[in-house]
Amino acid sequence: MRESLHAEWTKLRTLASTFWLLLAAVALIVAVSAAAAAAVRCPSGGCADDPAKISLTGIDLGQAVVAVLAVMAVSGEYGTGMIRLTLTATPRRVTVLAAKAAALTGPVLAAGTVAVLGSLLAGGLILPGHGIGPSHGYPAISPSDGVVLRAGFGSVLYLELVALLSLGAATALREAAVAIGAVLGLLYVLPIIAVFAGNATLSRQLDQIAPMTAGLAIQATTGLNSLPISPWAGLDVLAAWAAGALVLGGLLLRSRDA
Amino acid sequence: MTAITSSRPPASPGRAGFTHLLHAEWTKFRTVRGWVLSVIVAVLVTVLLGLFIGSHSHVAPCTTGPNGPACRYVIPTGPGGESVTDTFYFVHRTLTGDGSITAEVTSLTEVAESSQTLNGRPARTKPAVVPWSKAGLIITAGAGQGSAYAAVMVTGSHGTRMQWNYTGDTPGLAGRVSPASPRWLRLSRAGDVITGYDSAGGTNWTKIGTITLPRLALTVQAGLFATSPGGRQQTSQGVASASGTAAATDATATFDRVGLHGGWPASSWTGTPVNGGPDSPYVTGHEAGYRGERGGFTVTGSGDMAPDVTDGVAIDGLLAGLFIALVAVLVAGAQFMTAEYRRGLIRATLAASPRRGRALAAKAIVLGAVTFAAGLAGAAAAVVIGIPLLRASGNPVYPATALTEVRLIAGTAALVAVFAVFSLAVGTIVRHGAGAVTVAITGVILPYLLTAGISVLPAGAADWVLRVTPAAGFAIRQVIPAYPQVAANYTPSSDFFPLAPWAGLAVTCAWAALAMALAAYLLHRRDA
Amino acid sequence: MRDTTIEVSALRKRFGPKVALDGMTFTVSPGQVTGFIGPNGAGKSTTMRVILGLDKPDEGTALIGGRPYVSLRDPLTHVGALLDAAALQPSRTARNHLLWLAYSQGLGGRRVDEVIALAGLQSAARRKAVGYSLGMRQRLGIAAALLGDPPALMFDEPFNGMDPEGIIWMRGFLAALAAEGRAVLVSSHLMSELQDTAGHVVIVGRGKVIADTSVADLLASVSGDRIMLRTAARTQAAAVLERAGATAAVTGPDALAIAGLPAERVVTLLSESSIPFSEVTAHRATLEQAYLELTKDAVEYQSGGPAGLAGRAAS
Repeated sequence: MRESLHAEWTKLRTLASTFWLLLAAVALIVAVSAAAAAAVRCPSGGCADDPAKISLTGIDLGQAVVAVLAVMAVSGEYGTGMIRLTLTATPRRVTVLAAKAAALTGPVLAAGTVAVLGSLLAGGLILPGHGIGPSHGYPAISPSDGVVLRAGFGSVLYLELVALLSLGAATALREAAVAIGAVLGLLYVLPIIAVFAGNATLSRQLDQIAPMTAGLAIQATTGLNSLPISPWAGLDVLAAWAAGALVLGGLLLRSRDA
Repeated sequence: MTAITSSRPPASPGRAGFTHLLHAEWTKFRTVRGWVLSVIVAVLVTVLLGLFIGSHSHVAPCTTGPNGPACRYVIPTGPGGESVTDTFYFVHRTLTGDGSITAEVTSLTEVAESSQTLNGRPARTKPAVVPWSKAGLIITAGAGQGSAYAAVMVTGSHGTRMQWNYTGDTPGLAGRVSPASPRWLRLSRAGDVITGYDSAGGTNWTKIGTITLPRLALTVQAGLFATSPGGRQQTSQGVASASGTAAATDATATFDRVGLHGGWPASSWTGTPVNGGPDSPYVTGHEAGYRGERGGFTVTGSGDMAPDVTDGVAIDGLLAGLFIALVAVLVAGAQFMTAEYRRGLIRATLAASPRRGRALAAKAIVLGAVTFAAGLAGAAAAVVIGIPLLRASGNPVYPATALTEVRLIAGTAALVAVFAVFSLAVGTIVRHGAGAVTVAITGVILPYLLTAGISVLPAGAADWVLRVTPAAGFAIRQVIPAYPQVAANYTPSSDFFPLAPWAGLAVTCAWAALAMALAAYLLHRRDA
Repeated sequence: MRDTTIEVSALRKRFGPKVALDGMTFTVSPGQVTGFIGPNGAGKSTTMRVILGLDKPDEGTALIGGRPYVSLRDPLTHVGALLDAAALQPSRTARNHLLWLAYSQGLGGRRVDEVIALAGLQSAARRKAVGYSLGMRQRLGIAAALLGDPPALMFDEPFNGMDPEGIIWMRGFLAALAAEGRAVLVSSHLMSELQDTAGHVVIVGRGKVIADTSVADLLASVSGDRIMLRTAARTQAAAVLERAGATAAVTGPDALAIAGLPAERVVTLLSESSIPFSEVTAHRATLEQAYLELTKDAVEYQSGGPAGLAGRAAS
């Protein structure tokens, strides 16, 4: 496993696209978060906005870039046929998948941390000027605040779990375009279906099992009672999706001819 | 040296050549099992989800009990066929034939009911400003819900208005009524024609409007009314979901010097609360009634006479499967081009059609036609079968004209096709399957998700996103128009879009055209 | 170099209705180049993928040094393989490509530089593979195969896309590897590519072995050698040689074809008899001819001819 991990890490770091994708993810997350914070206005006060959640809006878009990174870690090898060399070098295929997951974890966590800190910083600077700040009765966005810490740390974990989900999906589906379509469809479309379910119970249940809505419950710092699912339980739901995708991918990887 | 002569017939760049290209591209598409499968799955998902939503949809009140009131409630329709709210307090007499009624309104005040005790009486009321509270004179064809009517009125913040048949609205004098600044109103009937006037002092009268109520009965009810729509409390700038709490409000108007001319048979004034009965989901206040003394009246009412845009189920919800279908279509659309790059097939394609723009055009036409046909089949089945299912499961379905249904179905199909072509163009520009699919999905579906789905963006920003991104085309889904005279949560999450349906589709088409132009340019410039 | 053999026995595999392997059995011995020859679609690549644990056979086993591939620790130190030279991510440099592969086997950067030198890639090693010619990719693939200094090597169609210079280099390279005591399996659909390189050939068609023999035996089995003789004294030369037991046939006004005597003996006899000659050429049967003859039989066999006609040429 150590050798395999060393190999996968080398693969990842020797592709320029890894660096650019992570940079793009950080830039997009911070930029979209800042834009969302700048777009909120609450002149009269009393809005039910959640400052931390607004400041982390960029995660919604940034996760797509992280998903691409994870999908390409597998599909890039299937696309070129290099997967055969990888599986020749490491015939224990589940080890390969585990090594890929482990190799992705560091960069994603690092990029996620930078992006989240940048977003919270931007939100903390921008929001008070738009009527959502300590002088308007809102809690200051401070990482030392327990709920803000949870939102920020949870967002980083969210990105990591999205990466694992994408890795599993790509291993199962192999083709890059199909895999990224499936992942983004799962993330982005289920919440829309929940809106149209036309039935409050069903909508709520869908929001509880949809990886994006459930997972992003971790970003909430106010109005926790109105969430479809509690923050950590929501992240668990996403973790279950990621685990399911990895298990499915692993089983298929083991049973299929390469 | 021997000269090499081409055995090819003289170049046929004309229509025949392009037909061959189309045939070639169609053959490419239909021989890739994954693409055909994804189109079939897209159609099936759209239909099945439509049927599921049709049979499992329940508006909120239904969930409070096994067979809650709203499940039996049928939203009344006005003379124009649209869903309406027809709830107000009516102080009326019979008018036979031609005649007119005049009154001076000296005040209009509103209160909001903040909480209720067990017996249903408001425990506390507080003064409020309800912009569209209304009080004035009305001639109505009958007491039935959705009856034809015409009225002149003062309003909370929108000055004097003449309104008729729920959707009609014309402004008169501006300014809020008060004892210091009263408003004189007059409504006169001559046959089918009703004319409304207003005046600041009762001497100089201005005609606000003349409207015709076709086939108006000889005997109608006419008199004074007051009503005040329930204020939806906007809990956040980030748009609250449709379950925003509706607080009832009551409007009280003081009428003076009520004068009648013409065919008013001898009778007395009668006060009637006009409403949809106990099953109506419309939240009304508890203070309705009137007092009459010395030719003047004080009338208190709650409700609205306006199109209903909040209590029913819109048929576009049946097309939720569209979004899943779109993912499949966007993937297939991008791959239609990127697969050629990955396998080097593009060289054969461009060798067969050296005029590269034509090869791209042929691909776009084939893809557009296939996805339009698939979208049409899926949307038509979902809507046509889904509407009766929605009704059968007790939902108050907003009526939609046949034209609206056709627009929804054909527009959705067109939207799918345009998105597919957009994805094809992105695939040509990016030349990388995963990259193209990511750009297409985040460009098309993510803006809609952020504005309408989980609505994280504030309303103003959401409107802009839905004006300028490719997701603007989703406006084609809007089946209930937004009315300026009805205060409601006109947000994308309630299926109200900042652009008109066809304008939104035009924005998406512009994106697709732009992407196609860039794709054609790059295809031409780059080495294959 | 420790001796390692590759043993393939009774492999069967179908892809849907198509039978890819139909009882494939052979052994690759150390110290020589074994040619793995057959037409396209004969099952050569599938066999190699099965040996490497990439494809699962329906039946049968493939062992490297007596063990299945999947059980090998650091397998590239047991067997190196070049399957598809194009199978690499083009945006990575050759050195980095070899580096991750080396790390996966617990090897380091020094070994990477060694194999880069071995494959003659020094000048291009730090360039992205996107600009590589097919020949350079082949060299990179060979470097990857040699990374673990394995006692057994497999090359799938290594001559594809190589220029004549590269083919000559490759032949010498393969021979040198075998001379070091390694077991070397080289597949090709062209027998001529392996002429003078392979000591042993396994000829396959439609998923099974048609012939498994040494090259010498194969050539001998096809047809004897002939010697082309150019001489002005045609009649005397024929008489002398026929007396020594050869058969002579006239092929031109001053040319004879001699069979049944080696060239050295022909020259000695003619010199002893003082018969003038201007040219003696040994005309040898080629592997290509042997191969075509065998695969022709295989086709007859496949179309329902009597079993055994496909005669295992030697063994």
